[in-house]
Amino acid sequence: MRSNSTFHSDVLTPFVAATEKFASHNAFCINGVFHSYRQLAETISAIRAEVKKMGAADNNVGLVANDDLETYAAIFALWFEGKSYVPVNPDTPAERNRNVLQQAGATVVIDSSDQPLYTEFNVVRSKELKAVAINLEPLPFDDEERAYIFFTSGTTGVPKGVPITRANLAGFIKAFFDLGITMDETDKCLQMFELTFDLSVMSYLAPLLKGACVYTIPKNKIKFNYIADLLEEHNLTVALMVPSIIHYLRPYLDEIHCESMRFSLFCGEALPLDVTSEWANSIPNAKIMNVYGPTEDTIFCTHYTYNRTGENKASNGLLCIGKAMNGTDTIIINENKEILPANEKGELCLGGVQLTPGYWKNEEKNKEAFFHIMYNGEMTRFYKTGDLCQADDAGDIMYLGRIDSQVKVQGFRVELSEIEFYAKEYLDKTNAVAIAFTNQLHNTEIGMVIESAEFDTKPMIEYMKSKLPSYMIPTQLRFINTFPLNTNGKIDRKVLKEKF
Amino acid sequence: MDRALITEKLTTIFRSVFNDQAIVLRDDLTANDVANWDSLSHMLMIGEAEKEFSVKFKLKELGKLEDVKSLIDLLEQKIQSK
Repeated sequence: MRSNSTFHSDVLTPFVAATEKFASHNAFCINGVFHSYRQLAETISAIRAEVKKMGAADNNVGLVANDDLETYAAIFALWFEGKSYVPVNPDTPAERNRNVLQQAGATVVIDSSDQPLYTEFNVVRSKELKAVAINLEPLPFDDEERAYIFFTSGTTGVPKGVPITRANLAGFIKAFFDLGITMDETDKCLQMFELTFDLSVMSYLAPLLKGACVYTIPKNKIKFNYIADLLEEHNLTVALMVPSIIHYLRPYLDEIHCESMRFSLFCGEALPLDVTSEWANSIPNAKIMNVYGPTEDTIFCTHYTYNRTGENKASNGLLCIGKAMNGTDTIIINENKEILPANEKGELCLGGVQLTPGYWKNEEKNKEAFFHIMYNGEMTRFYKTGDLCQADDAGDIMYLGRIDSQVKVQGFRVELSEIEFYAKEYLDKTNAVAIAFTNQLHNTEIGMVIESAEFDTKPMIEYMKSKLPSYMIPTQLRFINTFPLNTNGKIDRKVLKEKF
Repeated sequence: MDRALITEKLTTIFRSVFNDQAIVLRDDLTANDVANWDSLSHMLMIGEAEKEFSVKFKLKELGKLEDVKSLIDLLEQKIQSK
């Protein structure tokens, strides 16, 4: 089923309606402080006026991702002005963020920090703007224009950009509500993600289209603790989380009883069935859904509903990722790019309304990752996810693992080779291998094995911290005189993994 | 167990979990002051403290922890009521 959604009809129109109809309702709870829809609309209008004054010719505008009303308002301000946002996390090394902003060709950066972080750009200081009359009239724009570009870990030390168009995002929103997820002005919804992570988009956008309230997590808080407090004190009703949150909460699940929760979604990492069953007892009235998808296919694109009373489809104890959402096509292919029948293992590929037009200015990667194939009698464009999957006779897809060396840490995509790149750059001729392993809390952690006698690694880690976001920094280090090789003569990563 | 001894034992745990031998525990020390103090290492630190002092924390107690002082207060109270 193809959707005929547009960014105007499915995103901007309902948003403007919510700001008018629920002007005095809370739109956000940020660090314990509530902000109304009217305040949101005023802030958007003020930022918008300033962006207009800057007269930026380029479509992509940098956004310093702070946890405040101004940062969220900036996203909508840009959308009403026909522009797209490129978020950068202020805690990520500045050099990496500059690379992202330069790659995107941004000349303007919106920043709510007390001191602007990137002074070589034209900065809109969004906390210091004069009030203006509310103006939520969108400029005319094409749905093929971008809504945002998110940059993810690349293999060669350079982040790669995934542009998502307005049509992609409208297609997602339509398909999301088609899942039967209902929200209204009484809902209280969790937004636990950094704004540089695309799961944040569903978490703030869907509630704001319905007049609901979005609850964010302050940056300096221990996330799972803060979420548990929000559940209890504010009676949240909708939450999209990464599974690592319930791994952390697992020893304490008997203390959590949240009857208000109606929809509990998981994404970003494989979801184990056993911990899901325990979580289900803590939220007795909620529908639990496992959703799946890469940034390239706009937030998520397949869904599976956990069955509280009967059997659940799982593989290796991991809950199935289910079927495509409306407007998405899924196929599983072999190495020759031939579509495989049910029950055969292969690479999952995604096509349809949510699919990105391709990596930002990266033809080489685009040739690798996207291809056309005859599907339902039409030449259709698909994206190779790198995920090894298998569909059953009913069409439900099981996730079996990665084909390459990409891993997920706290939901973030990490190319192990990018971590190795910076370690080796520092070590100069000494080899190092990054390993993802499962720690005692069942979360993914990054370890590193260095082919050397033991030495003080602090300077190396400091160097890596100046280049990479914190979730990519190895937490455990081992030394080995010579790397073991497998029968193909490659470094035997499996043997190295046993050291953790 | 007095506060000095709790602090001493906790210092050993902090130095090991957060991988920094230079950590000195002050009452107002928070996650912002320690480079490796995130959700994961926080849980590991809590687990180590539970083992060392033979106590079990409740989620609500953990949620109220603001700084090292509140952690030591909680430990003191837990140890006394054992």
